[in-house]
Amino acid sequence: MNNGKLKSLTDNIETIIRGKSQEIKYVVTALLARGHILLEDNPGAGKTVLAKTLAQSISQGTVEFHSANGGVAFKRIQFTPDLLPMDLIGSHIYDETKKDFVFKKGPLFTHVLLADEINRASPKVQSALLECMAENQITAGESTFPLDQFFFTIATQNPIEMEGTYPLPAAQLDRFFMKISLGYVNEEVEFDIYSNYLAINNGKETIKQVLTYNDVIQLQQEAEKVYVHPELLKGIVKIVNGTRSHQEIALGCSTRGGITFIKCLKAWALVNQRDYVIEDDLRSLAQPALHHRMIFRNREASKTALQQIVDAEVNRLAKMSIQSKK
Amino acid sequence: MNWFKEERFKQLMLRFGLVVLPTILIAYVTLRFLNFSYTSLSTGLVNQTIYFSCGLLVAYALYYFGARWIVSLIVLWLVYVLIEKIINRLPGEFDVFYTTARFQLYSTLFIFGWVFGLLLVRIRWAYLVLFGVLTAATLVSISDTVDVSLSYILLHLAPVVVYGLYMLFLSPILTERIEIDVKKSRNLLFRVTLFVLLVLFALFITDRLLRGEVKAVEKELAARGAKGDKNGGGNSGKKNEGYDDRYGLMDKTDDGYRLKDTMRVNSKMSQSDKLMFCSKLDNYFPDGSPAPLYFVYHYLTRYDPVKESFTRDVNVPSNDEFEVDPANLPMYYSFTDTSIFRKSKATKFRKIVEAQVYLSENTWKHAVLSPSNVFSIQTIPVEKDFQKTFLSAYKIYTYASELNNAYFVYNISANPVLEKIQEQRTKELQAVKDYHTVDKEFFDYYTQYPTGTIYDSIAKLALRLTATSSKPVDKVLAVRDFFLKRNENGKRIFRYTLKAGAIDDPNIPSSKMLYDFLFKTHAGYCTYYAGASLFMLRALGVPTRFTTGFATINRSDKNKGWYWFYASQAHAWTQVYFPEYGWLDFDMTIGNEDQQGAPKPDGTPPLPPPEPWLVLNAKAESVAVQKKQMEASFSELIFLNTPYRLNKTFTRPIDASLCRVVYNKRDTTFAAINPGDSLIIVSYKDEAKKIPKPQPGVSIETQVEGFPSPIIADEIHIHKKEKNKKEKDGSSNVSKTEEKKITWQEIAWLAAKIMAGLVAFVLLFPILYLIYRMLRIAFAHNPTSKADQVYRAALYRFHMAGIERETETPLEYAQTKVDPMLSTHFERFMRMYLRLKYANAIPQSEEAEEINRFASSVGPSIRKRIGIFKTLFNYVNILKALRYFQQPQKSDYETPTL
Repeated sequence: MNNGKLKSLTDNIETIIRGKSQEIKYVVTALLARGHILLEDNPGAGKTVLAKTLAQSISQGTVEFHSANGGVAFKRIQFTPDLLPMDLIGSHIYDETKKDFVFKKGPLFTHVLLADEINRASPKVQSALLECMAENQITAGESTFPLDQFFFTIATQNPIEMEGTYPLPAAQLDRFFMKISLGYVNEEVEFDIYSNYLAINNGKETIKQVLTYNDVIQLQQEAEKVYVHPELLKGIVKIVNGTRSHQEIALGCSTRGGITFIKCLKAWALVNQRDYVIEDDLRSLAQPALHHRMIFRNREASKTALQQIVDAEVNRLAKMSIQSKK
Repeated sequence: MNWFKEERFKQLMLRFGLVVLPTILIAYVTLRFLNFSYTSLSTGLVNQTIYFSCGLLVAYALYYFGARWIVSLIVLWLVYVLIEKIINRLPGEFDVFYTTARFQLYSTLFIFGWVFGLLLVRIRWAYLVLFGVLTAATLVSISDTVDVSLSYILLHLAPVVVYGLYMLFLSPILTERIEIDVKKSRNLLFRVTLFVLLVLFALFITDRLLRGEVKAVEKELAARGAKGDKNGGGNSGKKNEGYDDRYGLMDKTDDGYRLKDTMRVNSKMSQSDKLMFCSKLDNYFPDGSPAPLYFVYHYLTRYDPVKESFTRDVNVPSNDEFEVDPANLPMYYSFTDTSIFRKSKATKFRKIVEAQVYLSENTWKHAVLSPSNVFSIQTIPVEKDFQKTFLSAYKIYTYASELNNAYFVYNISANPVLEKIQEQRTKELQAVKDYHTVDKEFFDYYTQYPTGTIYDSIAKLALRLTATSSKPVDKVLAVRDFFLKRNENGKRIFRYTLKAGAIDDPNIPSSKMLYDFLFKTHAGYCTYYAGASLFMLRALGVPTRFTTGFATINRSDKNKGWYWFYASQAHAWTQVYFPEYGWLDFDMTIGNEDQQGAPKPDGTPPLPPPEPWLVLNAKAESVAVQKKQMEASFSELIFLNTPYRLNKTFTRPIDASLCRVVYNKRDTTFAAINPGDSLIIVSYKDEAKKIPKPQPGVSIETQVEGFPSPIIADEIHIHKKEKNKKEKDGSSNVSKTEEKKITWQEIAWLAAKIMAGLVAFVLLFPILYLIYRMLRIAFAHNPTSKADQVYRAALYRFHMAGIERETETPLEYAQTKVDPMLSTHFERFMRMYLRLKYANAIPQSEEAEEINRFASSVGPSIRKRIGIFKTLFNYVNILKALRYFQQPQKSDYETPTL
């Protein structure tokens, strides 16, 4: 049942995004872990398409917030340097009939938010996203408005070296469960994409809604129930601690990072049709879930340090014998 | 901030405990060994260790906190300046000298400590360097000491080896932060415990193994000794082939060459110029010129017609051979057998001659070499400078005949003086008319003659030669003249040759060889001449015996009375009995005219050893190594050359501060003495010492009471306990009481065996590990643990089949490497295994079956893929197996950028 639903979701996305099944899984994992995901890549790698496809797979086109048809609401915000926080969260507007200021909800009041080119906006706007991503609520003036329990942000950003960008601060990066990059596809897939360009382009209309709002909530609950073996928890502790004491890492992983790592592991296991986490998951997820939280002393270290720590731990687990049950 | 509570400081303290302390300990032990071996070092062991540890600690702390070279140089320079200042302040020149000497030693040790500290902090494998240096130091100290027995080496090397192992175990955790909390540092504790267990196990194994080894070696040596004893009975003639002695007269034994007990006319010859011994013989002509005597080793009295060889005989009537083993005689002890006077059956022209004999390592040390009729022997030490050449020495007194002399035992020399004396001797001996006064049994024994055609023809020849002479001496001279006879061309008929059997088959019976020698070839060496003359004289009724020993050659008069004996001087001749005159040497051998071997030079005669006033046969009670003092109990002593046996046991302190300690004829250190050892303690006559005067009429016990205390010892000879016991038992078993020494060859052999064992183990290790893994599968008690064991075995077997896992997880390994190559469904198994491992699942029955199916498919699929021979071959690849146990590593940690 659930397996089927998840499979249909990933398959559905794969009809549009070719040759990126691993990345699609990461995105779905972040969704099921009730987290947010940051896609970083050069322009034109398919970030926006991926985000839109996902959103549309679980919502029938643009739907109203809390709409009756069971779909989910999807909003897209193109971040620009002159964007203001008000443009995101909404603003108080004088209502003539009520003779009072009423709060006009901004695009953040949605289920799936695509924050396109997030690093092109000013820090002020970026921090406005913070609260809603972390606390699932929006405060405007005196009043606080809760968001729906299903609030999923897909942010995309261009590599930080590019012109006209405001790098995301570490605190904000930490709030993303994962940061992945799509990368280029291989030659075969590229050929396939070119030859079917029209079909894909027109796919916007053909994308079916395969999951409903309730399905997503249910899957999220299921992901929380995934079993994590105590030895794996120990392994996670060691990895997190390892990042803190490693000589080449200036800023190690936070405890929040560890918690989100476990959440991601659980969701990842579910995406891979398992109800338990295995050692391979540590290896697959350490990079997307932990790497962006850390500050490395040099380029070389950013490539190798985390992998070293994880490999040592995974190797220990691989050599461990089956722990007898209590 | 409390600096001492800082993490880094704690770590340093921990390392002091774990690394520095053991290093100081091992340095102490090594310095201890070195101190025993080198007297120049003995300025305080504790001080040396303190200086070493100072260097070590300071360097370790400095470099641990990241000090640079420049800092260390400044510190060293400051220390140097400080000590220079102190030395310059010292008042006297004497003080300066001693302080400088000590300063050099201490500064060397300090620098050693410094370098060790630096290495230990900075280099992970520094312990290897340390291990090498310490081993070298220990070996040097061992090599300078004496008895290199296996246990001795092991005992001395053990601490260093243990240290090396310890550091080997410790080194991997030293680079990381060490958990200070005991609960958390389980890894460390585990390592240390494992190490201790390993060391104990190694000690146990070594003890077991080596004890057996030592016993085996001892047994073998004992067996060899026994064989040597048996040689007295008979045919060693064939065993000497290939030994390097000129006349084939010698057997090689553990203790050097010994002359054969059995003499056989043999055709094989070889040559040697090994120095056998040298001797000071106090025998002179009335005019003062030296009168050398032949040195006798054994008398071969009986001819065995079956074996055709001359042998020693135990049932000799009136046996005048002196039987004692000088090697078993404690130092300065003497043995006298006065019955020799009677048994020599001689009264006329006899005198007592003293001789000193210094035996080299080539000579069999258990035999008495002396002119004939020796009756007393005393062991004496060899002066230190000559100990390399001579291992042992003794003084002998012999009842020598004035008519005997190496110059005229055989034929006339060119020297008119000697010729005259020889003539006088012949005249004197002509007084003997016949042997009717001689004891019948004695006469019959020494004139025994075998029957047979060959012997008959020899007898006929003898009778023909001596038809005109009736007196024994004339008969002897007639036989001599026969050998000296010249043919019509004035050329000698008989020749001396070393290749006597060359014209004949060497395997023909030796009686035939003698016959050929006498009647056909006329060529032979000493045993031919001696054998032939013996038969001829016995056939004429003259009591004769075959004598082996050494021909004495007086090469120069530079050192009067000193003679040098080389292996090529080994000789055989006959002795003829004349009533009242006793046994006299007659050497019939013709001089070798063709080939005169270049005379070997005489060496420097060894200095006479100092005279002792007191020799104690003592037992060590307590030993204070540092003070060089000991307590010894004794009940036997030699006081001014007179041996006494006390009626009670005395215990006296012994001052050994200037003493020479000897064990197994070699110098050792005072530390080699253990309480309970049997010792011979010698004190020389010395002007500085108060030597008590012998008091006649006073009992020896009372005199001993008046001896100075402590007794100053000049020499201590160590015997081992067992040896002493056997001596007291009066056991005549000569060869077995000899201390068994393990030679280098045996150590090398043992080491080779151990190495071979190790190599075999290393080579077999991969397959042994596989067997272990398979056994674990077989003995898995439930499906879960079985899955576990199958998983491990599979990983190992795939690895050994050449599919090596790198940094990937086992599941990835299965997906990407194993399954594409082998048809084992490893991935399916892995998924199930991971479920069991991480989902707390209980294996279902079909899963258990799946495990079994997978387990049984691993082997066949590997063999199918790469072939059985390659599979087997892979299991010899120890490096591959080692890689399995290493943490999998990729050369490059390139991870995909996400």
